[in-house]
Parts: sequence; structure tokens; C-alpha cells
Amino acid sequence: MANIKEIQTRINSVKDTMKITNAMYMIASSKVKQAKKKLTDTEPYFYGMQGEIARILRHVPELEHSHFDAREDIPPDERKIGSIVVTADKGLAGAYNHNIIKLEEELLKQPGIHKLFIVGELGRHYFSKRDVEIASQFQYTVQKPTMHRARNISSVILEQFQAGELDEVYILYTRMENSMLVEAEKVKLLPLERESFNPGTLPLNMYREEIVFYPSAKSVMDIIVPHYVSGMIYGCLVEAYASEHNARMTAMKSATDSAESIIKELSIQYNRARQAAITQEITEVCSGANAQKRKK
Amino acid sequence: MDTFGLKIIASDKIFYEGRCRKLILPAPDGEIGILANHENAVIALGVGDARLEHEEGQWVEIALGEGFAEIVNNRVTILVDTAERPDEIDVHRAEEAKERAEERLRQKQSTQEYYQTQAALARAMNRLRISQRKK
Repeated sequence: MANIKEIQTRINSVKDTMKITNAMYMIASSKVKQAKKKLTDTEPYFYGMQGEIARILRHVPELEHSHFDAREDIPPDERKIGSIVVTADKGLAGAYNHNIIKLEEELLKQPGIHKLFIVGELGRHYFSKRDVEIASQFQYTVQKPTMHRARNISSVILEQFQAGELDEVYILYTRMENSMLVEAEKVKLLPLERESFNPGTLPLNMYREEIVFYPSAKSVMDIIVPHYVSGMIYGCLVEAYASEHNARMTAMKSATDSAESIIKELSIQYNRARQAAITQEITEVCSGANAQKRKK
Repeated sequence: MDTFGLKIIASDKIFYEGRCRKLILPAPDGEIGILANHENAVIALGVGDARLEHEEGQWVEIALGEGFAEIVNNRVTILVDTAERPDEIDVHRAEEAKERAEERLRQKQSTQEYYQTQAALARAMNRLRISQRKK
């Protein structure tokens, strides 16, 4: 049996760790609340934007725009694929970062020339050791997502897409279904796909309202598409932020719980050791006294 | 007078939802007025100020960011990245943003940075203009 002092030190160290994990749990849970509020605030804009593009495409099916160009003439292994990977800045969030990295690794196995745009310090560290191109000028943190940051990111992406430096753009982030279920997800940002806006084809005889575009269809799409992309990125950032803190919260909760159970076990051991020591001392004193008595 | 349904959605909140009598919007080439039963249209919006009359003689002014308006079946939906009332505008912040943008415009930048700065400058100046008009 380990000696009393050792057990005591161990209990104290576990207690200290528990203090930290507990504090992190509290911080994460308050941040989850903030992030969830942000998520519900931005949802109408996000879905509104998606709905509008769908509606415009439905009413003006012949609309052409450079962002819908799939560039099918480029063979698969020459396609330049960009992916925005949203990881956390720090670890200690359970499987959160691991899941995103695993998803990106799967994407990297596919043919094509890959280029990574990484949001979050941890992912940057991980992929810098690997043999892939990373956009070095792309330094954004994931803390407190803002529309401004999303706009910056989308302008970089859109510019490279238009210049032909990227043919496909994906965003990898973690979606929060509910507080129990979070899932790493890959979404295609560019080129935009008509099918994703219009599930199912419309019956031909359906009445199509005529919509006037002012000043012109192209200028309207020129405004809507960048907004849609930056709105999409913003939504993903907020979603990832919420999932990160949710993951951290659960991880820290279980760490605190297991620290508690370790402390419980250790204190039983400690008490047993103490009891044994006392018993032994009493036996020693008694037998000593007995021996003295017999001497007389 | 006829009214139409109006919904203004900014990226962080639903700014306005209700009936409206007259609406004046900032299109890229000038202002455009909308009354009830307007034909179906999608209108691109530049940075500028919108005015809406929700009741007889009561006009509300709004500072709008970039976005677009859609009119279908006598319902108007405006999706913009920012929408603010004149009294919500932080004049100091707008002034600082304006100075920052002007400072950056003087330096050499890539085309992309140039457009970004220009957009930032337009937003700041629009905010200042609207907040000053109120006084």
C-alpha cells in the first residue's frame, strides 16, 4: 500500500487540476450561451439569403454568372481545390479538432492541387508539419467571429476564385445539431451549384412570376453572391465557435467528473492507510506496554 | 393609402418588420422610390440611407450597408449587412473609421485592399452624413 504522504500529494494535485478544469468548464459554458445567441441572431439573414438566391434562380433559370461556372473542362488532378478549415485556437476540447483534421485529411487524399486556408491556431500548427500548401497571409483567429472577419475571408477567396487560382472552394467546420450532437461537415462554397438551391425540379406548367432586375441581373448577382459567400462563412464561423465551446464544455465536464471520482477513490485509500497506521501504532504501544508489564 | 409588407433583415438581427406606405431606397445610380403594388423586382442597393413612411407623415431614416431589396407580390424584403437608425450610430467610431480608411487609401495597396478600404470609407461617410443631418 502506498504511503500516506504520497496519497496526500496525489489528492492535492488532482484537486488543483480539477479547479482548472472546472473553471474552464464555466468559461466555456458562458461562451456557448453567447455563441448560441449570435447564431440565432444571424439565422434569418442566412436563410433569407439562401431563399433569395433560390427564388431568383427559380424565376430566372437562364441567368448566367461567373460564380456558377463549374469549369468542367479542367481535369480532376489539375483542379485547384481550396479549403477553409475551421479549427480551434487551443486544444482541450475533446475530439473537436481531431474530427475536423480527419475530414480535411480525407479531402487531401482526393486528386487535385490543394491549398489550405486555416482559421485557428491549432490547425495551422498541425498542417504546417505536413506537405501541403497553406495560404500564409491568412491569419485569422476563431475567437468572437465577426461579420468583418467573414467579409475579409470571403474577399480573399472570391478574388482567387475569379482569378482562376482556385477552381473549387470548400469550407470544413463543425455544425452543432444540438448540444448533444456535433458533427464535422464539409460544404462546397464555390462554384455555386444550382441544384443545392433548388431541390427537385419545378413542374413546367407552373406559373413563373416575372422579376425585373434593377439596374441589371448581373449587377444584382454581383452584389448578392459575395454577400452570400461572406454570410455563409460567417454562419460557419459562428457555428464552429459554438461547437468548439460546446465540445470544450463537455470535455471539461467529464474531466471534472473523473477528477471527482479519482479523489473519492484516493481518499478511501488514504483513510485505509491512515487507519492501518493507527492500528499498527496502537498494537505497537500495547505490545510495548505488555512487555514492560511482564518485566516487572 | 395602400400599404405593403416590409421586412428589413440585417446580418445580426431583423431590423424592421411591418407595414409601410412609402419607401425610398439607395440604388447604385440614385434613389428609387417604392409604393404599394410595385412590380416584382430585385434591386441592388449601394451604401446609403433609406427612408420609410410607416404611418402618415412619419418618416424613419435608416443607414443601410450593401445588400439588395426584393419585391414580390407586394411584399418587400431587404437583406443588407448592416442597418442602423440615426441615433444608433456611434459618431466617434464612424469618424475614426473614416480617418483610418483615408489613411490607408494614401498608402499603396493591392486592388483587393483598395476595394475593401473604399467600401469601409463609404460606410463611414454614410453613417456620418446621416447622423449629422439629424442635428
